[in-house]
Order: sequence, then C-alpha cells, then structure tokens
Amino acid sequence: MPPFYLGMFWVGFYLTLVLAPLVVLLIGPVPAGSGFWWDFSLALGFAGTAMIGTLFFQTARFRRASAPFGIDIIYYFHRQSSLVAFAFILIHPLLLLIVEPSLWSYFHPAVGPWEFWAGVGSFLALCLLLASSVWRKQLQIDYDRWRLGHAVLATLALGLALAHIEGVGHFVDAPWKKLLWGLICLSWLLLLAYVRLLKPALELRRPFRVTEVIAERGDTWTLRLAPEGHAGFSFQPGQFAWLTIWNSPFALKEHPFSIASSAEQPGALHFTIKALGDFTARIKEVELGRRVYLDGPYGSFSIDRQPAPSYVFIAGGIGIAPIMGMLRTLADRGDRRPLLLFYAYHTWERLTFREELEALQTQINLRLVFVLKNPPEGWRGEVGLLSEDLLARHLPQQREGQEYFICGPVPMIQLSEKFLYQLGVPMKRVHSELFDLV
Amino acid sequence: MRILLAKLLALLTGAVILIMAALFALLQNG
Repeated sequence: MPPFYLGMFWVGFYLTLVLAPLVVLLIGPVPAGSGFWWDFSLALGFAGTAMIGTLFFQTARFRRASAPFGIDIIYYFHRQSSLVAFAFILIHPLLLLIVEPSLWSYFHPAVGPWEFWAGVGSFLALCLLLASSVWRKQLQIDYDRWRLGHAVLATLALGLALAHIEGVGHFVDAPWKKLLWGLICLSWLLLLAYVRLLKPALELRRPFRVTEVIAERGDTWTLRLAPEGHAGFSFQPGQFAWLTIWNSPFALKEHPFSIASSAEQPGALHFTIKALGDFTARIKEVELGRRVYLDGPYGSFSIDRQPAPSYVFIAGGIGIAPIMGMLRTLADRGDRRPLLLFYAYHTWERLTFREELEALQTQINLRLVFVLKNPPEGWRGEVGLLSEDLLARHLPQQREGQEYFICGPVPMIQLSEKFLYQLGVPMKRVHSELFDLV
Repeated sequence: MRILLAKLLALLTGAVILIMAALFALLQNG
C-alpha cells in the first residue's frame, strides 16, 4: 500500500481509538442526562483518558505504524497530543466544580471518597508529567531520571484515571461496559509488558561490542560497534537506533542516535555523538570491548525511501550524522548522482567530518556549501545562518526533481522548510529528521 | 511540513473530540 494511504489508515485508527469510548458509552442503557455542561465535562474526561491511553501506544515504537510518518514525528505528535489531552483533563474537573459548587467540599479529607482522590492524584501526576517534559532543561532534570520519572508518572496517571472511572461508575456500571474498561486496562498492561520486558529481553540476546572510540572535531565522538554472536541488523542509510551503554536494556537508560556509517557495512555501525548533556559527555570514556545494546533501526529519513536523480542535504550541527550515513553509503555504492550539501556550523575549526567530507568529493558527485556563523579570517565561503538567498545562490534552477533532506534543531528545520517552499520546492520532496525533542 | 501536519492532527483530534463531547452531552439531555 502506498505510504500516504497507510498513513491515512493509521490516522483513522488513532481517531477511532480516541473516540471509541464516547460512542461505546452511548450504546445500551445510559443514565439520565445531568445537564449539558455536566455531561460535556464527563465526555471530556473519558476522551482525555482515552487519549492518554493512546499516548502509550505512540511511544511503543511499533515499526509498522510509525513507518509512513517517521518515528521522530510520532514522538513530536506524542508531545502535541498530550497537551490536548491535558487540556481536556483540566477542563473536566473545572467544569464540574463550576456547575456543581458543592463538589468543593470533596477536597476535605473526611468528605471526598477514594475515587475522587484517585482523580485528583491522576491530575497531579499529569501536571508533573507535563511540567517535567516541557521544562526539563530549564528544571535541569537529567534525561535518564526524567525518562524513568516519565514512565512512572504516566503509569500512575492512567492507572488512577481508570480507577477514578471505575469508582465513580457513571456510564460504566453495565457488566459489558465494565468488561470493556477491563479490556482497556489489560491491553495497556500487555503493552507495558511488551515495551518494558519483551523488547529489552530481545535486545539482551543480540548485544554489540564497542570496537573503537574515535575523537571527531567539535566535542564529538564516534562509537564503532560490531555485533556479538549474531549478524547485526540491516538498515537504510539515515536511520537511527536507541543505544544503551552502561546499563541493561531493562534499565530504561537508552538514547536515540543516528547511524552515521554506511548501510553497505552493517557489521561496523558508527554512532557519532556530540557532547551536549550528561550522557553524551561520557561517550569519550566508553571502554573498548564494552557490551552495548541497540533497539533499531527506526526512521524514514533515508534516500533509499525516496529515489531521485539527485539529492540536496541541509545539516545543522550534529544533524550531519544521518546525512553522513547517506553520503558514505552512496560512496560505497559507487553512486554518481549529483549531491549538494549545505552544512551550517559555528566555526571551521570545530566542523565535524570536515576532512572526510572534502575527501568524499573525490568519490561521489558531491558539492559542499559550508555556512559558518563565526568564520576564520580570510574565509571566502558562506557566512551567518541559512537563509533563502543563500539557498537560492546554490540550488539549481530546476528545483522540483531533487529530494531534499534536512536534519538539525527544530527551528532550523522549520526555517529551511519555509525557505525551500518560498523557492518553489514542492513540500512532498522535503524530508526532515527531528532530534532533541525533550 | 511534517511538524505542521503533526500539530494540525493533534488540534484536529482535539476539535473532533470537542464536537463529539458536545454531541454526547446534547444526546444525553434530549
């Protein structure tokens, strides 16, 4: 099936999952209406809870469901839809308290029933989830701790919300409706078992070993990995994997990184990592021979998915890593199609892969446009930030035939997409890879 | 483009839910 129709199928599936509880609640005998705003508030509570349930499925990394979109955008959607779900969950009690002010008395510990406190607990867990995700960096929460806390708080929020629904019993008192909610709980538990137990167990059976740690320019390190006791995995150039280094796969301490090596050499995987946080700053300390684990490959950011007579790449900072994987693959394949790379970085001295990119020009039909924010004295190349004028100066007049790949921070991707659109590039030809989402 | 579509889909889902919730409340209250 073409990716567009597959994508539409999964979007429809998602909407069905979110809306199903509302439809199901209306089937069969239902309690008498309690006023528009009261019932509207209940409906938002049910739908918000269903949305929170689907958030778990979004991050379970199902390859088939994420393939048409790219798993990076699924994570981005996870973030956006969680804000919408939170808005509904917030409106739910607010409306009830406005419509029925006597409910304020429930906040007295001696008055409020347990199901009320379950709802309050779920709401507070959601508040903590949201604040710690949106402001993780400002709050200086370490990624690994955030991830563990995120999993615990999310489980708590959904568990308490389901308990709240069961306890209140409104609309779910019929046995078959109780069964339905039971099935929802069961599917969620099975998902948890799959993500937290089965997948890590499978990773444990297919370890990799660090064979080299290479220092690159710009506080960046490349880990070279070889499969241990198995054939490794085949991947498409530009894809990425979750890497666990100092822990067991069960520890939830994994980080996503692009595969920077050639897809033609699956036995020697390269991950090029810039020292940007606690985990990445320790990459240079990884001992040779250390056993590591990979969950992958993932992602749809690949030239192999977009056949074209020529390609344009736009990289910002360490966004060069997946593009390097594609260039190395093309070199290994002896590909002679025209390639154009815009590579924006702060300084010439710290430009990662500078020498190798220049050397690649002799192997593949590659033209390089380095864009430096702080150029050295005597620099005659492009200066400043990526702009529409800058792209227009180097892009060919015919801009519809190529496929465009952008990787870097989200603002850079959004600006580059805007510039390309203004330059007449069809948006269906533009592909991007997001990282650093949390 | 994908970023915009993801945002739009999240908002669309929200809008559909709001309509469905209103419909639910209307049906309940005759």
